[in-house]
Amino acid sequence: MTFDPIVILEIVIGGLFVGVGVHFVPVGGAPAAMAQATGVGTGTVQLAAGSGLTGLLSAGLMMSVTDNMLLIVISGAVGAMIMIDATMIVGNWVYIYGVGVPPVSAKTDYDPITKDPQPPYISAGTVGHGIPTVSFVSGTIGGFLGGAGGSLIYYALMNVNGNPGLSGFFAIGIFVVNAVLASYNIQGTIEGFHDPKFKRVPKAVQACAAASLIVGIIAVLITGGA
Amino acid sequence: MSVAAGGGESKIDLKQLTIYGVGGGILSIYLASILNGALDTGYFAFLAGLGVIAAILMGSEAVRTVCAYGIGTGVPSIGLMAMGMGLVVALFGLSIATSIGFGIAGPIIGVILAMAFGYLIGLIANKVIKMNIPVMEETLMILGGAGAITLIGLSVVIAGGFDYQLILDTVINTGYIAVIFIAGTLAILHPFNANLGPDETQDRTLVHTISTAALAMFAAGLASLATLGSAAGVLTMLIAAIIWIWSFMWYFKLVKRDASGVPGTGLLPPGGM
Repeated sequence: MTFDPIVILEIVIGGLFVGVGVHFVPVGGAPAAMAQATGVGTGTVQLAAGSGLTGLLSAGLMMSVTDNMLLIVISGAVGAMIMIDATMIVGNWVYIYGVGVPPVSAKTDYDPITKDPQPPYISAGTVGHGIPTVSFVSGTIGGFLGGAGGSLIYYALMNVNGNPGLSGFFAIGIFVVNAVLASYNIQGTIEGFHDPKFKRVPKAVQACAAASLIVGIIAVLITGGA
Repeated sequence: MSVAAGGGESKIDLKQLTIYGVGGGILSIYLASILNGALDTGYFAFLAGLGVIAAILMGSEAVRTVCAYGIGTGVPSIGLMAMGMGLVVALFGLSIATSIGFGIAGPIIGVILAMAFGYLIGLIANKVIKMNIPVMEETLMILGGAGAITLIGLSVVIAGGFDYQLILDTVINTGYIAVIFIAGTLAILHPFNANLGPDETQDRTLVHTISTAALAMFAAGLASLATLGSAAGVLTMLIAAIIWIWSFMWYFKLVKRDASGVPGTGLLPPGGM
């Protein structure tokens, strides 16, 4: 049984990455599924879990050929980014060509990246629809942070117990706890870093740090078996 | 997902369900494990599955209680969190109990720690994130316990016992943990997610919970075909299937009771497709 503070630190940092990353992902929830709000039409946890698990897979693949932490974490981050980007672009195709609405944000008058005006394109009775450029970029950053956090946790756990199955599912458990705490912080929906709700990040940082610290201490004490 | 949740009145108290869930869950896990060990078979693995149904019932009622406040993130999030907490802490409990040479206490340590951890997460949600939901600590504590019992119980259904090394070899290294994780999560979160609304009634949600929990037990029984042999696996699946059919018929009766009307519309007219 090893008790390595570095591992706990890695888990806490990973948990914080996940918690902050959730705030970047444009989550629209049920209203977005009906194209009545900006973002991807599902819940935070589903999006975070989807991209995070893909990140874990790509991190695990990288871990089978190298034990360089940076490579593993970046591999996980890229995997998660690809997953969330694929989700957002296909979502946008459905919104644009299927529902017939332009991607538009209701939380800002001008898209901070393209400088396009937003209000003229918002359908009456909705709070935006689709995934506009700023939300897309924000979601990609969120995927990066979530994937990096998840793979950092996985890497830290693999060094403790050396059991891929156990480490992977522990990483999922820690990932889910942090993602749900973060989604409570944004109360379900957010458009991205331009959303006023994004200012709540400090609270999520505190909450995820506290939760990850406890889980981290628990996780390093577990053994990987013979 | 923002949830306009409304829960009906509760005829059965959450505390009562918790006592049955924790007691029945832990008892059945020990009973299954000890009987299997003493008689050197896997036939009694189904007993753990029955305990899991009791634990999932208390988890589902906790979801129902907390989601009635409108947590703003949809019901699935809290179900996933229950299983996430349960997974991490239950395995820790089993591992630490084996490490200190007291493996027999593993499930009890796991469940108690999971409930403590759930309480802490609830405290963080209320005090740091300021969700201000009065039942948050209590319900997350129950959900942590429900997650832990579900995980250990379904693991016992597959492994035949709760020895940490045995569970590592037969449940985690084989990947069946993924099945348990998702089936258990869905069993806890789905009933309220499917029944919520102004006309939600407790008995309908809980009867629905029995049917989803039986499906989780069935999935674990399917996995146990490969680990405990076909006879034990089929026994678990058969009992789970009987419980599912019985509970689903009961559930359908309650749906018809609560619906304003259930007319048969017939098939589509020719050319209507």
